[in-house]
Amino acid sequence: MIRDVSFGQFIPGKSLIHRLDPRFKMVLLIAHIVLIFCTFNFASLGIVTAATIGLILISGVPFKMYVKSLKVVLIIVIITSLLNIFYGSGDPIFQLGFIKITLEGIFRAVFVSVRIILLILISSALTFTTSPTDLTDAIERLMSPLKVLHIKVHEIAMMMTIALRFVPTLLEETDKIMSAQKARGADMESGGLFKKVKALTPVLIPLFVSAFRRAYELAVAMECRCYRGGDGRTRMKTLRAMPLDYFAVLIECILLAGIIVCNVFLTSVI
Amino acid sequence: MNVIEVKDLSFVYGVDTPFEKKAVDNLSLSIKQGEVIGLIGHTGSGKSTFVQMLNGLIKPSSGQVLLEGKDIWEKPKEIRKVRFKVGMVFQYPEYQLFDETVYKDISFGPRNKGLGESEIDETVRRAAKFVSLNDKLLGKSPFDLSGGEKRRAAIAGVIAMDPDVLILDEPTAGLDPKGRDVLLSQIISYHKERKNTIILVSHSMEDVARIADRIMVLNHGRLEMLDTPRAVFSRVDELESMGLRVPQITRIMTILRGKGYDFSDGILTVGQAFEEVVNLLKKEGKR
Amino acid sequence: MSFISAENVKFSYDEENKNVLNDVSLTIEKGEFVALLGHNGCGKSTMAKLLNGMLTPDEGVVVVDSIDTKNEEMTYEIRSKVGLVLQNPDNQLVASIIEEDVAFGPENLGIEPSEIRRRVDESLKAVGMYEYRRHAPHKLSGGQKQRVAIAGILAMEPSCVVFDEPTAMLDPNGREEVMRAINALKEKGITIVLITHYMNEAVLADRVVVMDGGKVLLQGTPREVFSEVPTLKRHCLDVPQATELAYRLIGAGVRFTDMPLNVEECVSFLEEVLG
Repeated sequence: MIRDVSFGQFIPGKSLIHRLDPRFKMVLLIAHIVLIFCTFNFASLGIVTAATIGLILISGVPFKMYVKSLKVVLIIVIITSLLNIFYGSGDPIFQLGFIKITLEGIFRAVFVSVRIILLILISSALTFTTSPTDLTDAIERLMSPLKVLHIKVHEIAMMMTIALRFVPTLLEETDKIMSAQKARGADMESGGLFKKVKALTPVLIPLFVSAFRRAYELAVAMECRCYRGGDGRTRMKTLRAMPLDYFAVLIECILLAGIIVCNVFLTSVI
Repeated sequence: MNVIEVKDLSFVYGVDTPFEKKAVDNLSLSIKQGEVIGLIGHTGSGKSTFVQMLNGLIKPSSGQVLLEGKDIWEKPKEIRKVRFKVGMVFQYPEYQLFDETVYKDISFGPRNKGLGESEIDETVRRAAKFVSLNDKLLGKSPFDLSGGEKRRAAIAGVIAMDPDVLILDEPTAGLDPKGRDVLLSQIISYHKERKNTIILVSHSMEDVARIADRIMVLNHGRLEMLDTPRAVFSRVDELESMGLRVPQITRIMTILRGKGYDFSDGILTVGQAFEEVVNLLKKEGKR
Repeated sequence: MSFISAENVKFSYDEENKNVLNDVSLTIEKGEFVALLGHNGCGKSTMAKLLNGMLTPDEGVVVVDSIDTKNEEMTYEIRSKVGLVLQNPDNQLVASIIEEDVAFGPENLGIEPSEIRRRVDESLKAVGMYEYRRHAPHKLSGGQKQRVAIAGILAMEPSCVVFDEPTAMLDPNGREEVMRAINALKEKGITIVLITHYMNEAVLADRVVVMDGGKVLLQGTPREVFSEVPTLKRHCLDVPQATELAYRLIGAGVRFTDMPLNVEECVSFLEEVLG
């Protein structure tokens, strides 16, 4: 089922990571991703991997969830590492006909797969520990300087909030409509691609109609609750940076320093 | 003759997850051809899962559903055929309307069934008549109908498949008292004419009491009762402990019975109650 | 002066169509609980939207707490004074976390964060949903969602809440939960207008108003209104079964003192009759 995907799901908790300011979390995530892609030797890769795993452990989210989120990218990891193994440059250590495998190719494959895995792990750590509303909130606040450029930051954030709110509702509705049409003998499993797409019409049209009806009713409900755009609006939740947040920044800086040292003093293997 | 027979039927949600839940727990029962069954139970009692197993929308975790003596999952590839025999009207069925005209929408089922044009035309018009949709409405877009008309058009879409068993999940939900009455009488007259089996899932005990031959009570996925309305509604305390409410009139008469008045058990309608009270008054000569 | 007064209100959605409301006059006193009945299409929902200024009358006036709803400068003032709870609980919730959804109204009103926090907690407690404050709406039952929607309106601290068929899409348990929440609001002194099809809910009101064809057909205490069984039946409305039984017995010559409206009253009515 569509709902089995764990990537992007929020898991409430009280860990140190959960308690970080979402704005800091977002910025630190970007910094950490940059670090992941600045690893050129095993020492630096080791440091970043250790840091990422450490973070996962203190996030208090069951390890199973991270494994699940990796499933989504498993194929990408396999394909890219195969490509890297077979198309590496340098001296072959193994050759069979036109297939040749080089040490550099293997290293590349390892680096690329570890990087992708780390990227997914750290991004999952953010979504697992930060509620979608906190995320949109952080985006709204981080982007607020863009208002000067007449970018409608509040409106974008509000759209994201509503989208997040209605995704589960619409998924459920899709399920229901599909069952209803199947009950009328709709055949959605068999036939070629064209037939399958055509068979979706009885699902998509009611879904659109319903989405528009919901949108209209939601608009009325929002107006009843005095919504009038972002001007003059306050927020219940005020975000204030705590010592914990600065501590997290400090750790990321130490990591950065470690990577720089490794990259300066050790030779790159890829 | 039994049209549907259910043997040790179970369904478990979310196997191997922390949310594992037995939605339907070891049900066995049989439903006779031509019967009207009222299915009651609070939200989450497994009603929807149960009825969706009857037409093969949900595959049982264990147990069997026999339709006219044959296991519906014997040939999984032919499960669609079961759905034409066991028609299912979901809750708020108007949200499944999609075609350009009401006529085309109602013909969706018969067309999937593989009927010829003339047969389709006949069955669509007959179905429309059952729910009192006139020719003018058939040419309209389903999205231009009123709420009650949409509901009836959607029900016609299932009736048009001419199922031997018709399952209706909360057909009167959200309608006003008049709409409720009209729809229920249409279902009754449809049943009288077509003489097929009907399963009515409802929260409204008044509706169920009005049309059911037998009432089936589900609680936490288990079959608690399957009996005549009178017998079921005479077990007021048990029903209430399952979070179900009996019709107001049944409660009134049960309380009075408890106080020693000589009323019959399981009174379901105001009419019956009226008779009982009048008879008692006559007996006591207090008119 | 009445808290809300509608005088000779006429309204239609577009010029071609006939009036949805045709000369309706209605007053609602502070602290009152009014039930509005009528079959679908009788103009009840339109009336609800006129009461909080979402719609304004074509003719006639609607005055809320001495403010004419046509006064555009006061639109938000009126909407925060008269909250509106709609039928479909799913389509009223904006945020994916309960407490943030409840905060939506006061946030729009530009209220101080600490005050919003207080109101959100208080409103959630009033409807019995405080324990669920960090939950996601789609995991709740219909009745719970509707209670959250009520809390969302309550957090704007309105003087009056209009409920437009709040229980129509709920199961019996959900209906009971919502009615309990509505009663809690009444106890806080909030004026309540409840639009409903369920007569058992309407009997709880101080006053029942029956609408038909865009007009007020009947109004009075529940006992007065439900005594008019033939009129109600003629306009396709139900009466509680308790009342119907008594009505039929009266028709058969039984003498009585008071028209019963609920189970308890009917039981004592019958005890009196049967001796």
